[in-house]
Amino acid sequence: MKKFLENLTTNQKLGGVALVLGFIALFAGDPYGGTSIKVNEKDLALSTVGNADKISVNDLADWIIKDKADFELVDLRSEEKFNEYSIPNSQCIPLTQLSSSELLRNQKIILFSDDDVASSQAWFILKSKNYKGVYILDGGLDAWKEKVLFPKAPVNGIKDELDQFEKMKEVAKYFGGSVQTDSSITETKTQIKLPTSKSSNTKTTAPTGKKKKREGC
Amino acid sequence: MTSITKILTHAFEKDEGHVHIHIKEKPYSNPYLVGVGLGLVLLAAFVIMGRGLGASGALSTAVAVTVNKIAPKHAAQNNFYKEYVGDETTNPLMDWLIFQTIGVLVGGFISGTVSHRVKKGIEKGPRISTRMRLVYAFIGGGLLGWGAKLARGCMSGQALSGGAVLNLGSWVFMMMVFVGGYAAAYFMRRQWI
Amino acid sequence: MNAPFFKFEYFNRDVSLIIAFAIGIAFGIALEKGGFGRATILASQFYFTNMRVLKVMFTAIVTAMLGLYFFSVIGFVDLSLVYLTQTNMLPMVVGGLVAGVGFVIGGYCPGTSVVAFATGKIDAVVYVLGMIFGIFVFGEMFPSIENIFNSGFMGNVTIPSYFNLSYGLVVFLVVLMALGAFAAAEWGEKKMSEKSGKEKV
Repeated sequence: MKKFLENLTTNQKLGGVALVLGFIALFAGDPYGGTSIKVNEKDLALSTVGNADKISVNDLADWIIKDKADFELVDLRSEEKFNEYSIPNSQCIPLTQLSSSELLRNQKIILFSDDDVASSQAWFILKSKNYKGVYILDGGLDAWKEKVLFPKAPVNGIKDELDQFEKMKEVAKYFGGSVQTDSSITETKTQIKLPTSKSSNTKTTAPTGKKKKREGC
Repeated sequence: MTSITKILTHAFEKDEGHVHIHIKEKPYSNPYLVGVGLGLVLLAAFVIMGRGLGASGALSTAVAVTVNKIAPKHAAQNNFYKEYVGDETTNPLMDWLIFQTIGVLVGGFISGTVSHRVKKGIEKGPRISTRMRLVYAFIGGGLLGWGAKLARGCMSGQALSGGAVLNLGSWVFMMMVFVGGYAAAYFMRRQWI
Repeated sequence: MNAPFFKFEYFNRDVSLIIAFAIGIAFGIALEKGGFGRATILASQFYFTNMRVLKVMFTAIVTAMLGLYFFSVIGFVDLSLVYLTQTNMLPMVVGGLVAGVGFVIGGYCPGTSVVAFATGKIDAVVYVLGMIFGIFVFGEMFPSIENIFNSGFMGNVTIPSYFNLSYGLVVFLVVLMALGAFAAAEWGEKKMSEKSGKEKV
């Protein structure tokens, strides 16, 4: 055997190596990592959704207004609910379709659902698939509605709070919501009309303003 | 065009005296070993940058930037130029492919110098005049430039880089290059053999 | 560590240009050592007298393909982040044919002409000028051929995904094909040199 190997020319050795590697490739699986995921259970068990992995709804609103586009906003709810209303610039990827989505591992991904349950689940799925920048929207769409779309006026607020509230008013207006004063809150609660998805979601189809530079010839 | 060939031909003839007094050039290396080396360079590009190698892209950027300098309005109406010029937020000449191509120029010169293979000359078969060879070089370059742009890449960008990631279009392009080449080879035999 | 490094922002764009230069140098050296700086060698591919182009190119493709494949399988490289040129069937077929004809007429392809230029080949200088002219003509024609340029759009599609084969199987087949081509090339070169040898005697 040793003698046989010694007698081979360089070219034959190279060819042999290629053949062996090619043969192994037959059984080595899919390089796109779709089918088999190696999960390090210990790591995963130790990792929990910490505060660092949460994004507050106010921060998100701020980013959207400033047209920051370095993240992917993912709505995990059903398509039906997504069409009804969703946060501007978001894309709909129901939880069940998450593993076949086209999210990329180098993207900053912000997940949200009605509350934190589905987004925490999705967070674990993506983390286990070695995604790096995965975040969840703290409080989900419920918090978004409550704090961004329909913020409540502070009761007997001091000046700082009132200033703050003026800002929130603007933000709410930007997203098509409205401010609720203390007096109106009980009556109007049932009548709150969500901004129609048409006006607020027009941006979802348009490119998010990210510069995708050509990389080919 | 003819004046260019004249100047170049002249420059070549002037130098002919020196051509024979060079140190013997080294033979080219084993093609398979070179291939492995080239493959590792390509692999490095994939691993470090997430993209393959290219060549014609640098010239396209240069052409687009030049057109944009001379006739900005004209370039703005043309999607092809627009893509290479970009949106003015970044300098289009600070481009990956341009730096890579300058590197190829330097690398080729280094390797050629070390192996004593840098010398002024014209590559052609024995049965063709220098002038015709230069005319053919210009026509061939024109066709390749045009075809590579239509196919979204050249031999390096499509055949080599796309081939390694099993890109369908790249393999089709590669096969077509061989088909076109072998089909035209008969008519060009006077130039080469 | 996750690769591709650039896509995970281990370094910025300015650094990437330095890397581009370094990779370019290595690319240039490899092409020059392969004999790709000489049109006579490149063209002889099409007359079956010297199959260096095929040998170097396919060895490079196989090497990079195997490396990338195994790096991806072990989870080092995220293959979905490696750039894929979109496939447009018709323009790629036509462009490939035109480029092939141009290759034989001009004697170089874009990358090799740069190396030939660097090693003092005057025809390569003219070739590069021709290429600039060709790109300019393409640019000027672009508004009228934009439809053709964008026709036959198939997106980012690989051979395994298009034919619904496993990626590993295609890798194996490409290795087999390359080895077969190399064997045929060696045999053909031998035959051709025997033939020309006899004629000379």
